[in-house]
Amino acid sequence: MRTPLLVIGGGLSGLAAAIRAARFIPDVLLVEKHSRLGGLNSYFYRNNTLYETGLHAITNYAEAGDKQAPLNRLLRQLKLRRKDFSFCQQMKSEVIFHHFESLTFSNDVDVLNSEVRKKFPRAAVRFQKMLHIIKHFNPFLPSPFRSARNFLAETLQAPLLAEMMLCPLMFYGSSRENDMDLSQFVIMFRAIFLEGMFRPQGTIKDLLDLLAAHYLELGGSLRKSCAVKRILVRQNNVIGVELDDGEIVECDYILSTVGHEETLKLISSTRVSPSTNLARLGFVETMYQLRQSSPNLPEDKTIIFFNDGEMFSYKNPADFADFKSGVFCFPANFQDLPRKNITEVRSTHLANYEKWKYLSATPDLYSRQKLDTSLRSAQMLENLVGSFATNIVYENTFTPVTIERYTAKINGAIYGSPEKVKDGNIGYPNLFLAGTDQGFLGIIGSMLSGVSIVNQHILPKL
Amino acid sequence: MTSEDIKNLILEIIKDIDDEADFASLDPDKPLRDQLELDSMDFLDIVMELRKRHKLQIPEEDYPHLATLNSCASYLQPLLKDV
Repeated sequence: MRTPLLVIGGGLSGLAAAIRAARFIPDVLLVEKHSRLGGLNSYFYRNNTLYETGLHAITNYAEAGDKQAPLNRLLRQLKLRRKDFSFCQQMKSEVIFHHFESLTFSNDVDVLNSEVRKKFPRAAVRFQKMLHIIKHFNPFLPSPFRSARNFLAETLQAPLLAEMMLCPLMFYGSSRENDMDLSQFVIMFRAIFLEGMFRPQGTIKDLLDLLAAHYLELGGSLRKSCAVKRILVRQNNVIGVELDDGEIVECDYILSTVGHEETLKLISSTRVSPSTNLARLGFVETMYQLRQSSPNLPEDKTIIFFNDGEMFSYKNPADFADFKSGVFCFPANFQDLPRKNITEVRSTHLANYEKWKYLSATPDLYSRQKLDTSLRSAQMLENLVGSFATNIVYENTFTPVTIERYTAKINGAIYGSPEKVKDGNIGYPNLFLAGTDQGFLGIIGSMLSGVSIVNQHILPKL
Repeated sequence: MTSEDIKNLILEIIKDIDDEADFASLDPDKPLRDQLELDSMDFLDIVMELRKRHKLQIPEEDYPHLATLNSCASYLQPLLKDV
């Protein structure tokens, strides 16, 4: 068969790219190797219950009238109507540096402003100056790496406040150890602190179903459980792919969302040398189901970003996981969500892929280590809020090895390569990269990545 | 198509992109983008819709001709004269 555009990967960036293209081009084909769509933001069933993976909260909240906001631009580009969605905003979230300071923030930036005034009075004016810079900065201009840490140090002159700003931004979107590129920092700062967090009222499955139905209605084709074995190239031009079952699909263009190195590996069966020596970052995540809500668990907080100490360390840990910092999410705590009987808590920590990978050869030890991770993580949360773990009825822990198995991500690194390819160009005239390794992260970011690469490289040429 | 038809076509396409677009105070000699809060991504939709509806291939270097409602009309009229 033949298609003008083949999209590899049915995660949110691939889905968005495919929808965008299908609005104007017939016979777009989207292939996903897993049996379900969503990539990192998907779901599974256990005990007749649907469990979401990935999604804590969606960043980039915007009111319907704000036309320039990334969320509304995305909906327009995909021809989705805002009124077909029910978005629930976060209640409030908190950055807690245990024994040092805490900062509450919500989708109203004044909450953060007043917290900074109260807790860092001497930095309050400089904080306002930083907000001004962030609002007027163009993060989309191509530029070499600039250190966000240096920017914060100079602008705020308040080391603890700087660390507290970095902690949530790094956890929700940094593929790089210890520091962030200033552009990435600005994008994430706006997404989390200025725009804010929300989630759809329904499940991630409802969202994926809606996107898939919209895509099919526009005339696109979708194949699940369909893996690309290799990308066929002639004279540096992509001519098609061979699927796992041997079928050849010819195409004029390919948009790959499976990562930079991952895509190069599909082109060349010989070893691809990594584009960077920087470490990829892995995470462990545990979801806890509770019999009933514990009185100690917060009912008005959506996310807690936590660090034990004054300095925040964001790097590949020496041990299985780094429990000195992490993210706790309370998925029931969004405004206007219907109350459920069972309460869920999720925790995330940085994790060492190599250690988990090595252990996974011995299933007993691997399971025991997952259980240990779950217990220690729960203990960290209990240190912050008080006991709740006796109410746990079900728990499930993902490791970088789990992510590696269900997605294409090398080393299960959810944020992909530390080096991004912002223009999506990886050296072929008709093959482009979108999604994680293009560099817009988060659900709205990755979807805009798919849309903008289609706009930039494919629609004007087809 | 007459110049008037073309302007109506462009407005219809914009309405389709943004159903809250307000044309009441639109100045046909001022850039559409600024007046209607459209960005470059929305702007591409106009080009793509013209291609879909009228098989028009507008080269990227000609996009600036679509800046205002009047410039759209003068650029597109020769291309759409037989429609």
